[in-house]
Amino acid sequence: MGGVWNEIVGLWSWASPIWLVIAAVLVGYWAFFGGRMERRSWWLAGSLAGLVVAYVSPVAELADGVMFTAHMIQHLVLLLLVPLCFLLSLPRERMEEWLARPRVEPWGRLLSFSPVGWALGLSVMWVWHVPTLCSASLQSSWLGVFQDVTFVVAGLFFWWPVFSPMKAQRLAPASAALYLFTACVGCTLLGIYLTFTPISVCPVFARPAAGTGLLEAVRLGGFSARMDQRLGGLLMWVPPCVLYAGAIVAVCRRWYAGEEDEVVESENFRAGESVK
Amino acid sequence: MVWLAESASSVVPVFDPASPFAEAIYSLFLKVLAISAVIFLIVVGLITVAVFRFRDKTGGNGDVPRQDFGSHKQEIFWLLGPVIIVVWLAAISAKLVFTVNAVPQAHPDAGEEPDEEIEVRGHQWFWEVKYPGHGIVSANEVHLPVGKKIRIKLTSEDVIHSFWVPQLSRKMDAIPGRDNYFWIGASKPGVYQGRCTEFCGMVHAWMNFKVYAYEEAEWEAWVEAHSKKPELPTEGVALAGQKFFETATCIDCHKIAGVGGTTMIAPDLTHFASRGEIGGGVFVNNRENLEKWLIDPQKWKPGCKMPNFKFDPEELQQVVAFLETLK
Amino acid sequence: MNGGTTERIESGKGVDAPREEAAVPPTSKILSWVTTVDHKRVGIMYILTAVFFLVVGGCEALLIRIQLAVPENDFISPAFFNQMFTMHGTTMVFLVGMPVLIGFANYFVPLQIGAKDVAFPRLNAMSFWMLPFGGFLLYYSFMTSTAPDAGWFSYAPLSTKPYSSLGGIDYWILALLVLGIGSVAGAINMAVTVLSMRAPGMSLQRVPLFTWMAFITALLTILALPALNSALAMLFIDRWLDAAFFEPARGGSALLWQHFFWIFGHPEVYILVLPAFGMISEVIPVFSRKPIYGYSFVAGSTVVIFLLSYGVWAHHMFAVGLGMFADIFFAIGTLLIALPTGVKVFNWTATMWGGSIRLTVSMLFAIAFLVEFVLGGLTGVMFAAVPIDWQLTDTYFVVGHFHYVLIGGTVFGLFAATFYWFPKMTGRMLSEGLGKLQFVLWVLGFNLTFMLHHFLGLMGMPRRVYTYSDEPGWALLNGLSSLGAVFMALGTLVFVWNLWVSKRKGKVAGDNPWGGFTLEWATTSPPPVENFTSLPEIKSRRPVWDRDHPDLADWKSAKTPEDGGWRPFKGKVAMGAFVASEAVFFILLLVSFVVFNSGDRGGLDGPSPLDVPRTALFTVILLGSSVTFWFAERALRGGDQKGFLRWLLITVVMGLVFLGGQAIEYAGLIRSGVTINSNLFASTFFTVTGFHGFHVFAGIVALMILYFLGRKGELKQKRANIFSAAGIYWHFVDVVWIFVFAIIYLRVLQ
Repeated sequence: MGGVWNEIVGLWSWASPIWLVIAAVLVGYWAFFGGRMERRSWWLAGSLAGLVVAYVSPVAELADGVMFTAHMIQHLVLLLLVPLCFLLSLPRERMEEWLARPRVEPWGRLLSFSPVGWALGLSVMWVWHVPTLCSASLQSSWLGVFQDVTFVVAGLFFWWPVFSPMKAQRLAPASAALYLFTACVGCTLLGIYLTFTPISVCPVFARPAAGTGLLEAVRLGGFSARMDQRLGGLLMWVPPCVLYAGAIVAVCRRWYAGEEDEVVESENFRAGESVK
Repeated sequence: MVWLAESASSVVPVFDPASPFAEAIYSLFLKVLAISAVIFLIVVGLITVAVFRFRDKTGGNGDVPRQDFGSHKQEIFWLLGPVIIVVWLAAISAKLVFTVNAVPQAHPDAGEEPDEEIEVRGHQWFWEVKYPGHGIVSANEVHLPVGKKIRIKLTSEDVIHSFWVPQLSRKMDAIPGRDNYFWIGASKPGVYQGRCTEFCGMVHAWMNFKVYAYEEAEWEAWVEAHSKKPELPTEGVALAGQKFFETATCIDCHKIAGVGGTTMIAPDLTHFASRGEIGGGVFVNNRENLEKWLIDPQKWKPGCKMPNFKFDPEELQQVVAFLETLK
Repeated sequence: MNGGTTERIESGKGVDAPREEAAVPPTSKILSWVTTVDHKRVGIMYILTAVFFLVVGGCEALLIRIQLAVPENDFISPAFFNQMFTMHGTTMVFLVGMPVLIGFANYFVPLQIGAKDVAFPRLNAMSFWMLPFGGFLLYYSFMTSTAPDAGWFSYAPLSTKPYSSLGGIDYWILALLVLGIGSVAGAINMAVTVLSMRAPGMSLQRVPLFTWMAFITALLTILALPALNSALAMLFIDRWLDAAFFEPARGGSALLWQHFFWIFGHPEVYILVLPAFGMISEVIPVFSRKPIYGYSFVAGSTVVIFLLSYGVWAHHMFAVGLGMFADIFFAIGTLLIALPTGVKVFNWTATMWGGSIRLTVSMLFAIAFLVEFVLGGLTGVMFAAVPIDWQLTDTYFVVGHFHYVLIGGTVFGLFAATFYWFPKMTGRMLSEGLGKLQFVLWVLGFNLTFMLHHFLGLMGMPRRVYTYSDEPGWALLNGLSSLGAVFMALGTLVFVWNLWVSKRKGKVAGDNPWGGFTLEWATTSPPPVENFTSLPEIKSRRPVWDRDHPDLADWKSAKTPEDGGWRPFKGKVAMGAFVASEAVFFILLLVSFVVFNSGDRGGLDGPSPLDVPRTALFTVILLGSSVTFWFAERALRGGDQKGFLRWLLITVVMGLVFLGGQAIEYAGLIRSGVTINSNLFASTFFTVTGFHGFHVFAGIVALMILYFLGRKGELKQKRANIFSAAGIYWHFVDVVWIFVFAIIYLRVLQ
């Protein structure tokens, strides 16, 4: 027992360079939006906590070629949790003002173009699980960093049309629901594929090179590579869909509260005819 | 028709568990039942109070009641209870799935190799049971030692069946082209009723089986007796019966160790005379019933694969005499 | 007042042609029903057809209960018994449950949103006529070799040729396909009606809850039925073209059928129960004289149910040995559904609380619904706890459970709705006295029959057994259960008698006998041909209440989002919904390709016989046709009729070239001996590309029709929206091909 405990303690990567990123984000946030504690500060804390989970906690160590499941958790945190919390932490008024500036405005509009966000969000999930790419990202540390950055950036693009701090850039509720629902279908298909395919999606994990004592304990306990991939697949499938469903509920709430009554019908419907 | 003299050993088997696995499921079930009863009483109580307290006695001419559109706070408050219950339910059922009855192939508990392995194969409409460690093949009966951890490897020859002994273990589907594994055991000696629970065609109703659990010594005796070939008759009507069995079509479908045959189509008849039942629960196994069965199987188990062979009385006596010797 | 109403009732009989009423001979009166496209008449025909099949399915249930009343009974043979429970299930789900709910939605959704009719009246009539046709196909099987006898979910491989060689299963497949087409068309119509046909002021956040539930049900139908269709298509190919998708002996998968069936089957449960939720949400507030408590919670929780219902199918499969992680995840999903459902029960109870409750028959059934449905829901939660499911699935406990949901829920909701809306549909009230008699008979009979099923399950009785040996207690419980069925049958007779008598001699109803809140009560009973002569102002969720109680009007106390006034173009929404439905169909076919062609599943051994470079060329041509289509659309919108026709013709030609390419591929394969029954690779290849080719072909036909319309000058700039709607389909077909090419030709997932 003690051995395993030491293993777990030893799995924390306290010296991770992610602290620099976190510090930079904190300083930047403070410089831009001031340091007052507000409700949204909790979202920022959530976002940064996501980074800690992904890079400092045992998830980071296990994700690095040991457990596929941990790898998946890392992906999900970076793609879904970190960007979402970060977006929600942005103060509305300041952002509206800032995004209205002529220099910034086109970028905001690009972010809010929903097909881009949707395609990016889904394609990073799918593409990084092509067997060769999945293994390569673990073998080259630069590629690994690049992968993580694409996750966060794609996540920002993905969530922007739904939770943009600028009201006008958000999708209308019906479209937002459709956006999230179809994304959920995409995740589900990937999850089903990972869960049920007999192929080893990320071959590195099928034969972990740097097996730690903990992993050996886990394998002895019956957690085979096959089960690892299955659990990873289910994680890729169920938590994102629950999150999307939650986001749809949030959109519904916004809609019933009439917060956005000026865009009751979706932009997609603009082209249509109105009933006299 | 003669009804089973030896009825199942429990009237409400789900509530009368006789193995650690069934025990664990039973205790979970009791908890869920209790919480469900509480929820039901609360909801029905509220509805009853509402109906009696707020019933309109004026015939529709009374004052308009307060138009209450609802409050999110209250709704969220009322949601809290269900959320807690759901989380709790998820946790206890997940725990049970992990610990007690995980699929042993995918999750071999370290150091917990089975004491005994039994292979069960579903057929339309009987169960073929093999004990690979002892070279025993049987049908519609599973024999176990008490207090041991036994792993069943389950599959099907044709369509999907489902293997269920409520007092001893979970239900598991027998699926063609796929091996399913699960634990079974019995904590006390006895006879336990099992049934096929997945609709599998015409006589799905008559695919019952029994599980016999023995103390260690009796189990060893059973294995000893059944791993030997039965003593074949050497003279008289029984010998004639054996000759008939070999020369008529019997042997095309049934197998008897030492005599020959195949088990793909019909139950293995080695040690037939020691079995408790005929036809997957249609009859208790005795001479009278065996005759009835042989005269017209289709009358008792319509659609089963054994036709009415129209034996003449002499042949019938010979076959019965032969089968009775297969102890 | 009374005299006026009676007159209206009489003239209401011939809604389509009220003026010539006196002169029409009976045959053309029938003809006027057959040819009608009026949503109210179509709705009534749906309901009457469903009632007819209810009686048929009920008789089947009675035969089942008679057979099981005593142990070792030989009242009917096992073969006939198996046909009976299969037909009972199939009939009740596809010929009673879905049609009766579509029927009510057909009648009342347009009324509740203040529309003249549904979005596509002729499509509506077509959807309806699929129902008797499908029902006829299903029942015609009795006159052939055998009726279907593999259970309403026809698990493979029992339903494949080697184990069901007679034609019953084939009739079952065909009937379900026909009914599925009708249901999807009807559902698209309903969804578009709700989105596009609402009266001014009726924002989507203000629609009555029945309309909202009908809308969500329509979405569920659109996305769930294609899963069944793809499974049926594969089973039919197995049975007739000798493929082996579901035959494990030849490499197929028995479990794939279960996955596909329940991806449809679980949402189907909500398709059957959500409209009843909607009915209850209308009835309880009206008879409590209060608005629904927490409208947005009831409506929003329905959205959550909609989302979750697609993620829980495998809880029907806990006993197949999916592995513990899958079991636990699906259990959690299933438990989550208990939350939005629980919210609803709370809201309904809170609506009654503090109200002024009138215990009419309608309200009695609504209250009974609440109690029985809570029971069915709680046993449902038990099944979500995986180990309990391991014990009780496939026993009589589960039979008890789903009858509590489908009778205690859906049927009781339907009775409540019938007593509530019958006055609107006929102008006369149903008899309350007969109604109460029926209520007592049903509540007694229903609980007697199905409560005991739970105990039988605990005692170990499996479902679908045609008889049982005389275990202690079984005979008694089964006998009592059969007795309960007699009570229900008597109750049904009382109900039918009530309908018959009240239609002729019932008390005259007037426009709004119950003091209803929603728009259907603002018109006459029955409503005139185009429903309304004038609409009250719609400023809240209860316009009729506002009209009748100006001082207490909802818009003064409870603000709801204003109506922005935009209504989407009908054709585009319909095409979008159709494409979504087709997408599910193709996704599942592609999933089957991946399943059978990865690892050692029995797909391809050796190199692929497909010519990838050549097909790549044809792929470019097909994708190019999307571009040329876009040019055509731009030309049309820009008023360049000539350019439009030229680009459209090029599009058609490119589509034809692509089909030619496919034909070459097929010919080559068949010449080298690769046919649909060769192996699972060939089976999946021909199935996926075949269905895709068929869709391209249909698209080409549609485009050619548009081309000739354009030539004749009937498709011009003004009607460009219609062309855009066709474009959604054409682009969809091309997008599907991208996936087909990537997965089948480039094998990216292997």
